[in-house]
Amino acid sequence: MTEQNEKGKEAIHEDEEEQPEVQKIWSWGAGTDGQLGTGRLEDEHLPQLLHFPSLASAGPIFLLACGGAHVIALTSGGRVMTWGRGASGQLGHGEMVNNLYPKAVTSLQNDFIIHVSAGWSHSGFVADSGCLFTCGDGSFGQLGHGDYKSHCSPVRVSFFANEHVEQIACGMRHSLVLLKGCHIYAFGSGKRGQLGISEGKIKSVSVPKVTQALEEVKIASIAANGDHSAALSFDGHLYTWGRGFGGTPDTHFPQCSSSSFLFTRAALGWNHALALTDGAQVFMLGGSHHGFLGDLEKIRPAKQLPDSREAILEKVLGLDGTKVLHIAAGAEHSAVGHLDDLLPKKLSKWSAHSQKNDLQDSEFRSTKQRKYQGRGSRQRLLGSISKSIPIAQYQLGEWPWLDEHTIGLVWLDNFDDTNSCLEFEAILKKT
Amino acid sequence: MSYDDVEIEDMEWNVELQAYTYPCPCGDLFQITKDELRLGEEIARCPSCSLYITVVYNIEDFLGDSDQRNKKLEPPKQQPIAVA
Repeated sequence: MTEQNEKGKEAIHEDEEEQPEVQKIWSWGAGTDGQLGTGRLEDEHLPQLLHFPSLASAGPIFLLACGGAHVIALTSGGRVMTWGRGASGQLGHGEMVNNLYPKAVTSLQNDFIIHVSAGWSHSGFVADSGCLFTCGDGSFGQLGHGDYKSHCSPVRVSFFANEHVEQIACGMRHSLVLLKGCHIYAFGSGKRGQLGISEGKIKSVSVPKVTQALEEVKIASIAANGDHSAALSFDGHLYTWGRGFGGTPDTHFPQCSSSSFLFTRAALGWNHALALTDGAQVFMLGGSHHGFLGDLEKIRPAKQLPDSREAILEKVLGLDGTKVLHIAAGAEHSAVGHLDDLLPKKLSKWSAHSQKNDLQDSEFRSTKQRKYQGRGSRQRLLGSISKSIPIAQYQLGEWPWLDEHTIGLVWLDNFDDTNSCLEFEAILKKT
Repeated sequence: MSYDDVEIEDMEWNVELQAYTYPCPCGDLFQITKDELRLGEEIARCPSCSLYITVVYNIEDFLGDSDQRNKKLEPPKQQPIAVA
């Protein structure tokens, strides 16, 4: 595994020689636990450009995951850095304290990590060898070690010793694991049906159990947030289970959304789900009580009982005509990355469409992040967002490689116009 | 408007805060103390934002708890006096 690490490092250096890569990270939103990485314990209403040598020396970041108040950064060299709230051990540094700056998770240095997820107060790490590690709060069994203990350093989940883990998704108090071979396992709190393992009410399980009703389905990706779970199949179907959306009853087994569209990506909040179609359109489940994207007039009371027992996937009308490349969901807000025209080489606009919150419009706590790799049509986004209450809509000109995230991380790489950075900051100041 | 209705058994006792807590979407925790519960308070607030939740609980559970706690707390208080 050390060898693979070294290979990874070499690959980065080669990339750097061929194509100078500049990666920048911005953060904003809630910051009282150090999750912004600014070195201050303050909320930030505007994106802050981060300067931390520890991150720069670790190599380009491949994936950022935002939890309740902590952040996990995965570098393309398979290294992991964490910062923010650490009171439950979720940072994996061997102690239960907050970290204001990114710090390497040294106990994972012998493994090449390829996937990470951040829950409310726990963390999961998947190595290229198929090993799964978890740390943080285990009081609901969400670490999968067969007990309810918390751990402040990543511990290998022995249940999967003979299996090849591909992905982990951490929710508020539960976790989903996708195995090579497409089975989903779940553990942690199951009160709202989010484990999908039993029809009856399950308080929690600490030993991973197979999620039912998906055995015959080839699963491409999984998602978890709040008390929700979701999976996308290779053939484009969206499955959701757990807490009901928009006042509908909880579902204890995965339900396939009745839609003729095929989906390529799903993102979960605490009360809504977003799904991206292969035609670059965005659909939403629930979430209408804070206003529809682009249609703030259309607000429904949260407690209003729906006519149907099943939440209906509704197209986000405010994004009509927009070619959306990436979706992200915070607890109560959403973000999309899109093209403003159909020319992939000229990604010229980026905007965060936010859901207005009727309770908190004086506070701005947005987090979302995304990343484009490569150029032109090869651009790819990765990222996640978590908690927060956004109110603004940004229209950023000439800003292709942007990322933000709830607790707010924004980054870009491979950009060829250094002035864009200044331009971006200027635009935000005007807002 | 209450963000959510949460049963007391789904809240976690936080020793440091001496309060029952539940995650708030802003990243902080909704909080309510045992004293508040004994008084019939059902709103748990988040110290960092304006959101609040409605706590679903049975007040009798906490009135009994109060008596027990007082009984448990009293002996240690008396002991030092006896020593003195």
